[in-house]
Amino acid sequence: MNPYRSFLSRVGTSPALLGLLGLGVFAVLLEILPRAGVLSSDYFPPTSRIIGALWRELGRPDEQFRPSLLTALSDTLVTWLYGLSIAVAAGIVLGLIIGSLPLLREFTASTIEFLRPIPSVALIPGLIVLLGVGREPTLVIVVYASFWQVLVQVLYGVADVDPVARDTARSYHLGPLRRVRYVIWPTALPYVMTGIRLATTVALIVTITGEMVIGTPGLGDNLYIAYSGGDVPVMYALILVTGLIGVVANTITRAGERIVLRWHPSVRGEVAA
Amino acid sequence: MKAVITGLRRVVALVGLPIVLLLVWWFASADSHTAAMPPLKRILKVFPDTWFGERLTDDVLPSLIRLTEGYCAALVIGIVAGVAIGSSRTVRAFVEPVLEFLRAIPPPALVPILFLIAGIGDTTKILVIIAGCVWPILLNTVEGVRGVDPVLVDTCLTYRVSGLLRLRTFVLRSASPQIMTGARQALSVGIILMVISELKASTDGLGYTFEQFQTRFQYPQMWSGVLVLGLIGVVLSLLFRFVESRVLAWHRGQRAAERTSL
Amino acid sequence: MRMRRLAALFAGATLVISAAACGGEKTPTTPTTPGGPDTVNVGVIPIVDVAPIFLGESKGFFTEENIDLNLDTAAGGAAILPGVDGGTFQFGFSNAPSVLIAQTNGLDIKAIASGNGTAGDPDNDFSGLVVKDPSITRPAQLAGKKVAANTQGGIVELAIRELVAKDGGDPNSLEIVAIGFPDMVAALDNDQVDAIFAVEPTLSAAKAKGWSVLGSFATIDPKMTVALYVTSGKLAQENPDLVARFTRAIKKSLEYAQSHPDEVREIVGTYTNVPAEVRANMTLPGWPTEIDSGSLDTLADLIVKYGVTDTRPDVSAILS
Repeated sequence: MNPYRSFLSRVGTSPALLGLLGLGVFAVLLEILPRAGVLSSDYFPPTSRIIGALWRELGRPDEQFRPSLLTALSDTLVTWLYGLSIAVAAGIVLGLIIGSLPLLREFTASTIEFLRPIPSVALIPGLIVLLGVGREPTLVIVVYASFWQVLVQVLYGVADVDPVARDTARSYHLGPLRRVRYVIWPTALPYVMTGIRLATTVALIVTITGEMVIGTPGLGDNLYIAYSGGDVPVMYALILVTGLIGVVANTITRAGERIVLRWHPSVRGEVAA
Repeated sequence: MKAVITGLRRVVALVGLPIVLLLVWWFASADSHTAAMPPLKRILKVFPDTWFGERLTDDVLPSLIRLTEGYCAALVIGIVAGVAIGSSRTVRAFVEPVLEFLRAIPPPALVPILFLIAGIGDTTKILVIIAGCVWPILLNTVEGVRGVDPVLVDTCLTYRVSGLLRLRTFVLRSASPQIMTGARQALSVGIILMVISELKASTDGLGYTFEQFQTRFQYPQMWSGVLVLGLIGVVLSLLFRFVESRVLAWHRGQRAAERTSL
Repeated sequence: MRMRRLAALFAGATLVISAAACGGEKTPTTPTTPGGPDTVNVGVIPIVDVAPIFLGESKGFFTEENIDLNLDTAAGGAAILPGVDGGTFQFGFSNAPSVLIAQTNGLDIKAIASGNGTAGDPDNDFSGLVVKDPSITRPAQLAGKKVAANTQGGIVELAIRELVAKDGGDPNSLEIVAIGFPDMVAALDNDQVDAIFAVEPTLSAAKAKGWSVLGSFATIDPKMTVALYVTSGKLAQENPDLVARFTRAIKKSLEYAQSHPDEVREIVGTYTNVPAEVRANMTLPGWPTEIDSGSLDTLADLIVKYGVTDTRPDVSAILS
């Protein structure tokens, strides 16, 4: 077997290596396109310059009006994870309750559909007045935006429960809690996991957006400062950091999914393969 | 008689809670002197003048057209790419990190980049809508395709059902409940991005109107716009329900869902 | 019991919207320890124009007045002015037309000092209407064309329309497109607009492309008050002493910035990402201490003339 093919077959069987390869191809593409003049390098710096800017940003110490990259990163992580946890917990609990009680679902449906498409940017002036420009207003829009992602997935997951299983549970006189635990939860879980993955990124995006617009300290605030100062490489460096947080977050939620869904066909087939 | 009661009950379910919440809002905001949070009374007072006129055709309509175009494109891209990615472990492992990277780029950072590529016009706005809507559809499709019943996979193999027939009768069918969930999620994400895509470099649209109200400090009008967005959300979800009940008529969970939802 | 718990949970879910919707009044709080300094929150935009307040803070002008300054950067006047009105910020920075429009629409805003003015020279201002096409040599030629302004209805849009009108063109035939200053150079470079109206440091980047400047804020009025420092009428009434001390400190800062341009170029590097070589060469705005009320009247006229508001803003209500 020639070495080229053995390399390919090794990469082909390892998802991690394949993923890194994918990111590598993407990075090379973004290096070549500006250099070849397909995209203007004034506005799209090639990957190497973005990484150079990231390196310099990493070396920049905390300044009074411009926190260092690591300080901004930790601020963003706190807001993001805090908001995400509230949204996920509230989404699952309320989703299970509303989903399992048909009457409640019927009477809340229009309100849920009304509230969901309201963009969080519309709430910002009011939130600044109510909560100032610290972490709280950003936290509120993060929870607001990502909560619906989880809630709707859970509602659909609960609706997907097999009526036979539901009737069986009823005839065996399973209490409400055990019905949730043994009948509803297993069906809803794949939906829930997708909901968490969706909410994870939505929460991240809204955290950065809130920091940009409201001025809450964090990566978004630094991003806005770089943007308004016309510092394109640093702007892209911070977008790169945001994207990488997304990749890491997905890797973690994927791993979590493999653990909680190991009995489900979507995961089972792949572990066996 | 029974039909009347059922109809009445539907109406109460539709407007009951919203009315309660509006009443709470009405009384809680009645003596607000904060400009950014005007009393609901003032918001409702400016509502007809603000929206029942030229704005309906000059701003709301173009927005909804762009939303429809972006949403439909996102459906096609999300389902096609989702089936491709969901069916192959190799493809999935290869593209997933890149997709996750792109998914995490916030729209305010994305919009200037898209201006450079697609210019100032409807194309960029539609691209922004696609860029947001595609993820719930794509992710749900991937998961739906991954999660198809292994017994059915074996059956298909045994009966040598393959190609398009397999895709249509088996893969898409099994995945459709989850695809519909994604499509539903994408709908409200789409409305939000419709607004965000029009905040800058626009000459019409709901987002443009929102930006005008904000920069001109016309808060009662801005809040009336929030109500409009909510109403659009309710109407589109009713439409969606209608389509969904046709697409998923065969599905077991659907019967239960139809009984109880909007 | 179960129903009550459900109700509580549901109330939690709707809390977000109701909190945003029905918030009552918030009194401006100045967290003061007896004898200690007053902590004030000031809403500013991370741009060159606000350099004096950063400089004054570093020079200790605010500490001298027993003020502990907390500078919050926001994305623009649209986020700052409602915060000043609602008491989140005790003071704020915003362009002058926005202040006038806000006051007309019921925000309780008072101007306390000039924010910044033009550089004084119509041919070399910190602002500029820039074109790429060399065949366009005067503003009137822009009639019917697409021009980028940073926001709808702000000072920049007014300036563009007025420059075209003064030159004999039809100001209402312009198509104004809102594009953030940092994105303007790319938009003009890619021919997505026919002209841009930029301020520093974007203006330097546009000039570096070899494009020509057709006019500026200073062309309209060399003494124009471009932006203002503001407070709420409520705070002005309840704590006139604090407002007076802040006003003294900011005026001292403006004076210092006006006479120490090198220190301005230095301090801009601490709160923005403007590169050192751009900072060294860009045109700085002027920082007069007094508001030019005549130019506010001009702006109020332009606001009505170009249909931003229906009623003419009451300039004296801002200044009282």
